[in-house]
Amino acid sequence: MIYVIDHKDSFTQNIVHQFSLFDKVECDDLRQIDKSKLKKASTIVFSPGPGSPKDYPDSSKIYNRFKGKKKIIGICLGFQQILYCEGANIVEQKKIYHGFQSEIITNKFSNLFANGSKFKVGRYHSLKLKEPFYAKNFNVTMRCVKSKVAMSFENNKDKIYGFQFHPESFLTINGNLLIKKNLIDLKI
Amino acid sequence: MIKNNFLNKINNSKQSYIIYKTTKGFNLYTDFSSKIILNNKNIDKFLSKKFKSNKNYKNTDLFIGFFGYEILNNLIKVKLPKQKNINFPKGIFYKPEKKITLKEDLIYYPNKSNKVNKNFKININKKSYIKIFNRFIKKIRAGETYQIKICTKYKNKSKIDPLDFFCRLSKTNLAPEAFMIKDKNFSIISCSPENLITKKGSYISTKPIAGTLRKTKKINKKKALKFFKNNIKETKEHNMIVDMERSDLSKVCKPGSVKLIKEKTVEEYKDLYHYVSLIRGKLKKNVKNIDIIKAMMPGGSVIGCPKISTLNLLNNQEKENRNIYTGSFGFIKFNGNMRFNIIIRSILNYKNISEISVASGVVVDSNSNHEFNENFIKAKALIDLYK
Repeated sequence: MIYVIDHKDSFTQNIVHQFSLFDKVECDDLRQIDKSKLKKASTIVFSPGPGSPKDYPDSSKIYNRFKGKKKIIGICLGFQQILYCEGANIVEQKKIYHGFQSEIITNKFSNLFANGSKFKVGRYHSLKLKEPFYAKNFNVTMRCVKSKVAMSFENNKDKIYGFQFHPESFLTINGNLLIKKNLIDLKI
Repeated sequence: MIKNNFLNKINNSKQSYIIYKTTKGFNLYTDFSSKIILNNKNIDKFLSKKFKSNKNYKNTDLFIGFFGYEILNNLIKVKLPKQKNINFPKGIFYKPEKKITLKEDLIYYPNKSNKVNKNFKININKKSYIKIFNRFIKKIRAGETYQIKICTKYKNKSKIDPLDFFCRLSKTNLAPEAFMIKDKNFSIISCSPENLITKKGSYISTKPIAGTLRKTKKINKKKALKFFKNNIKETKEHNMIVDMERSDLSKVCKPGSVKLIKEKTVEEYKDLYHYVSLIRGKLKKNVKNIDIIKAMMPGGSVIGCPKISTLNLLNNQEKENRNIYTGSFGFIKFNGNMRFNIIIRSILNYKNISEISVASGVVVDSNSNHEFNENFIKAKALIDLYK
């Protein structure tokens, strides 16, 4: 079962429907987390949402508790939340991407995608990962072709993954494939 | 046959009535056998009402009316701070016993009873508008909202003939979700273009609009599409609304069933082009109408995104109750089907005070002067009726 933790976003249900293609999905508001669902889940997903990671200490707690024990996926704010827990600075960027379609490219650090694969993706973020950033076993694996901003990371040892863009957006071409790679192909 | 002086007759009869646009013309509903004034307590009961679906289904087996903005916030547990309030009902639904079909061309000979005042007072001047605007830009940079709509309100004291206003408005601005309500102590006139919910059987659709272009002789439909596609601000706003509405529908629809049927197309109306998308889904089993209303209202395209945090930002900033503005008007049929619009481009006349509310979107690359004027342009079509 996949447990989606909702940060009261207006895109969360798109994620629920997308992940439902691959497994049973449960979704609750961060303030109404069900501990037994959390225990039962094989994968925890941190949803997008308004604000910045420091506004969600409860999500950080959940992350720190289950890191290395369950597969964890973060999207947009969720991506930033995970990196924030790993010591990253999440900062405002000059150009803001709300409702943008951009091209992104994978690099040689990706375990899931061939080096140099390009995707068109939908973005909704005003904040970004401040680089350089280092954390044990974490690698930035996708970047915006134009701005070079970090667009995804992989930690294949602990099975932690994140996307700064929105794989569930209608602006993302082949978003289902991206999620499938994270959920299904990794089981093998 | 409906006689030419039909509208005069009904208007003179002092009966309450409602007119709602259909694809071909208008429907007029009257002879109300009940009128339910909604409040935060009785709304659940009203929406959970089970109707007998009997075989002799009549075309008046429905409740028609509106939800105001405040009651919709309350339904999704968003609290409004104390605001200036004219104590207009939070929502009203009527049960009609008579439905009359009217042609698109409404014929009405107005009485000369309009005591209209041309001058309107605006509740937020340019200086305070720019202040609010800059505060919201900061919130966008900080990620608290991605898009937010600042609402301004124009008011004056006038005694109007609502039917005369509605007929004139329909001649210049024939909108697919236009409606009017004439009741004893208030009237509403609207040329809303936007459908929020169309529910037929187990299917539901929504048709958000983000992007409007005034028609001129030089601009055809093709050129309008090009204009919208090249306009990055409009495109981003539209994209956001599409993803938000997909998510809202997904709350009540079967996984995998929510589809973008029309993606960013241009619809042509009498005086305007709209940039429109159509999203449809198949409802989950056992979804109730109240679940649908909670999932979809207030309509996201007139609020901003993400909905809850943006509503909170808006509400804390607004000093006056929005009343009907950005609420929804429509009907719930006894067989469960529904049609609801978003109440925009409308006049509320209550106790001989007219109010017109408008809003325009702030995204990070908006310009405050432009948006302030945009609000005025939106209000002008209605203000011009007071001449």
